[in-house]
Amino acid sequence: MTQTGKPTVHETDICIIGSGITAAMMAAHLVEHTNRAILVVEAGTHTTPMRDRTTARARYVAYGESPWKSDHLDDQNATGMTWGYSPSMHVGGLAMHWGGVAPRYSPEDFRVRSLYGVGDDWPFTYEELDPFYQEAEERMGVAGEQGPAALDPRGKPYPLPPLPINYNLAQLQHWATGAGIATWSTPSAKNSVPHAGRAQCQRCDTCYPVCPTGAKYSPDFTWDALPTNRVTLLTETLVRRVEADARTGRITHVTGNRTDASGAPVEIRATQFVLAAGFVWSPHLLLLSRSAAFPNGLANRSGLVGRYLAGHRNVNAYLRLPMELFPGINVQHSLVSKQFMRPGRQSRYLRHDLRIWESSVGREPRLRADDGSLLVGDAMLRDWQQRAKGATARVRGYYDVLPDRDSMLTLDAGRKNRWGDPMPHVAFKDAPESAALREWQEESLRELFRRMAKAGNGEILRMENSANDLGQEHPTGGCRMGTDPATSVVDAWGRAHDHENLWVAGAPTQPTASCCNGTLTFAAVGLRTAHAIARG
Amino acid sequence: MHHDHGNEYGSAQPSRRRFLKTAGVLTVGSATALTAVGCDPKASSETTARAARVPLDRSLLDALAVVVLPESLGADGVKQAVDRFVAWVADYDPVAEEMHGYGYADIRYLPADPAPAWQAQLTALDLLAQRSTKTGFMALSPAQRRDVVDAALRTQRGDRLPTPLAATHIAVALLAHWSSSPAAWNLALGANVSPTSCRTLNEAVRKPLPIAPAAKGATV
Repeated sequence: MTQTGKPTVHETDICIIGSGITAAMMAAHLVEHTNRAILVVEAGTHTTPMRDRTTARARYVAYGESPWKSDHLDDQNATGMTWGYSPSMHVGGLAMHWGGVAPRYSPEDFRVRSLYGVGDDWPFTYEELDPFYQEAEERMGVAGEQGPAALDPRGKPYPLPPLPINYNLAQLQHWATGAGIATWSTPSAKNSVPHAGRAQCQRCDTCYPVCPTGAKYSPDFTWDALPTNRVTLLTETLVRRVEADARTGRITHVTGNRTDASGAPVEIRATQFVLAAGFVWSPHLLLLSRSAAFPNGLANRSGLVGRYLAGHRNVNAYLRLPMELFPGINVQHSLVSKQFMRPGRQSRYLRHDLRIWESSVGREPRLRADDGSLLVGDAMLRDWQQRAKGATARVRGYYDVLPDRDSMLTLDAGRKNRWGDPMPHVAFKDAPESAALREWQEESLRELFRRMAKAGNGEILRMENSANDLGQEHPTGGCRMGTDPATSVVDAWGRAHDHENLWVAGAPTQPTASCCNGTLTFAAVGLRTAHAIARG
Repeated sequence: MHHDHGNEYGSAQPSRRRFLKTAGVLTVGSATALTAVGCDPKASSETTARAARVPLDRSLLDALAVVVLPESLGADGVKQAVDRFVAWVADYDPVAEEMHGYGYADIRYLPADPAPAWQAQLTALDLLAQRSTKTGFMALSPAQRRDVVDAALRTQRGDRLPTPLAATHIAVALLAHWSSSPAAWNLALGANVSPTSCRTLNEAVRKPLPIAPAAKGATV
């Protein structure tokens, strides 16, 4: 379906494409630091409003129903991935259903080439990103506990006090300390105290996928708070092409179509254009925007648009420990350690985070006893009460995976949307040094977990690696940043080397994806870009 | 209750494997609904599937519950658990979208209405009782009913109860539904933990209080 006719034209100063968490942070920054008009373009529409989230949560818990209504476009999806990707496309983006886990990367992430001789350094340091981390944490309201200074460096305190180390985590922390591991409360974008007009966390344990109280930050709160005379949110509008002046390279306008039944054409003119559509849709749009003057798509003089997709994998284990835990106190909250993200020089490269949770694994009810007899009635309950005694801990380490140049997003001519645009296909590939280290890295994590079990006189119930190779978690890349236009797509501020008024924000610009949850860093990097745009 | 897996978050979602398993089992009992909703899943539930909802035979279900649920819940506790199960079945929205957060990229849908197959299984328990004892299921003693249920579940694996929606027999569904409740977990743990119930954050630091002996059979 290709709609023709005269497009509806919108004119603005700054056009932001995408309305996820990075876009929301940037819009808030730009409102405060410029006088310019901002138009935010979102292909999807608003999803479940706050007032309906208690009911939506109840149905998710009861049946597994999606709490997020109208949250995707049937013909706008990517293939090739499972882990780390969601087809959600709506106001607020994936952060409408994130878990709110908000750790920073460590300083080493920005200098892996200099420190370890692998991968690539970022074009700025942790210290340079620190104020933008702080800004992101303050805008979201991150509750965090200052870890040991050597492991958890930061310029200012967390904006909110930490989520409490609950009874279960306190027992597990004692065990971890005995195993020689320093842990602290995982920083989370959840209100440990009432904040920004939103409630205190009620540990409902459905942070992912839906917080019924509003204690967890999601981007809709920012969009609702921004002044409508400065920020216009244009929903149900899919940007399909970015148009550049063939002579100067300046972006003149973008074009697209309404995603409602009308499919009507739309044109948006602005002085600055920001792609804040994540690691899939930002490079996808650049590749789609081919023209005679730019036959490889926009911002693609280096040929690197869509390449160097990065992420991480994990090794996960369940341990039975001789202590008493009560699963269900606050299952989604955890302890974190950055001890293994900050190793000294190594003969072989391995960096990973470590998280520790309470778990119910191995302590659930069952239908048959060990002798195969049926368990119903009080016999079943008695058996369950016996099984429920004791403690299970879950431990997991994300380990850093360095991306190959051919870890990439391509256009799949065999799958098109209603307008005939080829959809993205994603295929992750480890750099040779990562591929060579994978088996040893995963065994090193398993050995760590064995040591931890032994230190607590416990035993391993089971261990597992990331389920498959269909993607990696907390993915980034596709428009990597750097100082050399021959080896990067955007500069250190997110500005396209080839187009002076085109910016790419957040996850797609990152050269690597560290070994911990990435959302806070995506937002901080986006805020650094917003700072550059505001500075002019 | 939420169970955690190897990725970032736990998942209460029925897996693809469970979906197919359940759908396969339900094919005979709900072929019409499956066919009808297969054309337009988003428009399905409020029209075709809900209109065709098969009520569960409450008398047979009560007779089953006495055998399956813990007798220590007491008669009132068992009745409350059955009431909640019946309400849960009645409020199910067949082929609603599953949560598609992280873990797969395609849009997936919940199974068809399980009620027709579950009602057929209730009827089958009665038939089995008639054939094996010449007496209806409800007229049997609890011990005799237990034998009939045992026979009906002989192929059910039992290392862990499935989610209620993934249960392929109504006896398992009833038991799984009850045991997924916060109150059931409290009974199992012997403490007031109440998993998945929203409650005060600051109290999380204290060891959960033990449940009072008198309350053990009173709340389900």
